[in-house]
Amino acid sequence: MSYIRELIASRELLANLTMRDVKGKYRRTVFGQLWSLINPLALMLVYTIVFSFIFRANPEPGDPSGLDVYPLWLMSALLPWLFFTRVVNGGITTLVSNAGLIKKVYFPRVVLPLAVVGSTGFTWLNEMGLLAIVLLIFGAWVLPWLPLVVIFMILLALFAAGVAMLLSIANVYFRDIQHFTTILLQLWMYLTPIIYPVALVENVAADKGEWILTVYRLNPMERFAAAFRDLLYNNRFPALDDTLVCIVVGVSVFALGFWAFVRNEKKLAEVL
Amino acid sequence: MSEPAVVVDSVSKKFRLYRERNNSLKTAVMRGRRSVHEDFWALRDVSFEVPEGSTFGLIGRNGSGKSTLLKCLARILYPDSGTITARGRVASLLEVGSGFHPELSGRENIFLNGSILGMSRKEVARKFDDIVAFSGVSKFIDQPVKNYSSGMYVRLGFSVAIHVDPDLLVVDEILAVGDAAFQAKCREKFAEFKRVGKTVVLVTHSTNSLREMCDHAAWLDAGRLVMQGEAENVIAAYSADIAEGDRS
Repeated sequence: MSYIRELIASRELLANLTMRDVKGKYRRTVFGQLWSLINPLALMLVYTIVFSFIFRANPEPGDPSGLDVYPLWLMSALLPWLFFTRVVNGGITTLVSNAGLIKKVYFPRVVLPLAVVGSTGFTWLNEMGLLAIVLLIFGAWVLPWLPLVVIFMILLALFAAGVAMLLSIANVYFRDIQHFTTILLQLWMYLTPIIYPVALVENVAADKGEWILTVYRLNPMERFAAAFRDLLYNNRFPALDDTLVCIVVGVSVFALGFWAFVRNEKKLAEVL
Repeated sequence: MSEPAVVVDSVSKKFRLYRERNNSLKTAVMRGRRSVHEDFWALRDVSFEVPEGSTFGLIGRNGSGKSTLLKCLARILYPDSGTITARGRVASLLEVGSGFHPELSGRENIFLNGSILGMSRKEVARKFDDIVAFSGVSKFIDQPVKNYSSGMYVRLGFSVAIHVDPDLLVVDEILAVGDAAFQAKCREKFAEFKRVGKTVVLVTHSTNSLREMCDHAAWLDAGRLVMQGEAENVIAAYSADIAEGDRS
């Protein structure tokens, strides 16, 4: 319990480390924070050209929103995915890159990965805000769904924080983890219906056997992608099973990551 | 006699010296076991008490375990056996300016560093003018700290740390920062700590500054406590031992 109290006492440290990342990242750039929006826009352009014009991945129009705009359909799931990968990639290295601090000052070390979630979340919030505005302009009545979007954002943040805490500890012992994870995340993205609709996988499953779809849907990011797309693009409630999986995965992975982190935290100054 | 500020009770700390360290999955898998190592005891069964309100010096040769002990006091390392009980808020000055972000201004870094050292935003805001005045970098406070000279950088870091206002301050050999004028200011600050009854534990190699500042001391050699007590006696015995070592 005293650990929790200490953690609450260091919430200002968490806020300050978050702002250090946010403010420090784009110092001395002409566009400043705009860079954080330019990156996903560039990705949107690339994926739209390749997968909409060339490969013709045609997702169903939004039901009941009636939207039929591939870039918006893409971004509804791509922005959550980008948040997830940035938290995991940034979180893994945070202990190693703050080794100097860990060896010299005492503070609850868990604020380091949490600050990565905070600063990445700040960027994500901006991106999602912009996406909501564009969706409104294109005629999707997204406003009443925003509170639910925020709840799912919190669930995804919990999931990402849990993965980041687990891997950051592992990476202290085996630095291979960070390189391995970069590759794994690329693979994971293509195994998640972000740039193509899940209907394509359903077709394959109908052809080759239903087990393909069952295995495919074990991926929790598939559920998150579906939920965000339902809320933002289709403007309807996410399916009940998707919602349950998101809640269970978010909370339990966070708890597991936190537990593993706190157990190993005391040894960090020695092994780094 | 009042209660001691710190009780160090039979503390031992070992480090692993790796002959073959498994820092990658490949080596871990290929060798099939975690690693080959031998134990090195940096501290063995060290016990002493630091009286409240005293300035306590730790002395010993290089590698005697002073810094390890200090890090245990600062809760950066954890002893393998034994306990350390400290009353009140502990702040450590092991390295100054750690956690500074080079692109942020001195002002922003004061707030950031203050919160790393455990101060609240309000507290930093209240002490802000004192911190800047003490550091002597007020002209450059809105410049990014990467443009600071190394002296300015260290002075600002030291200044933040010394304003944490802890009950127990743990200091590694960082008293040698800045020019003579700044060092005089630091000594004045430590004297002030003593006047208001704060406890300070410090490591230093300079017997002169030790004599000047400390009233109690402990002497460590190869991880064991050789002697502790009044600073005068401990320093005298340590100096005699060093002199003997030089002759032989």
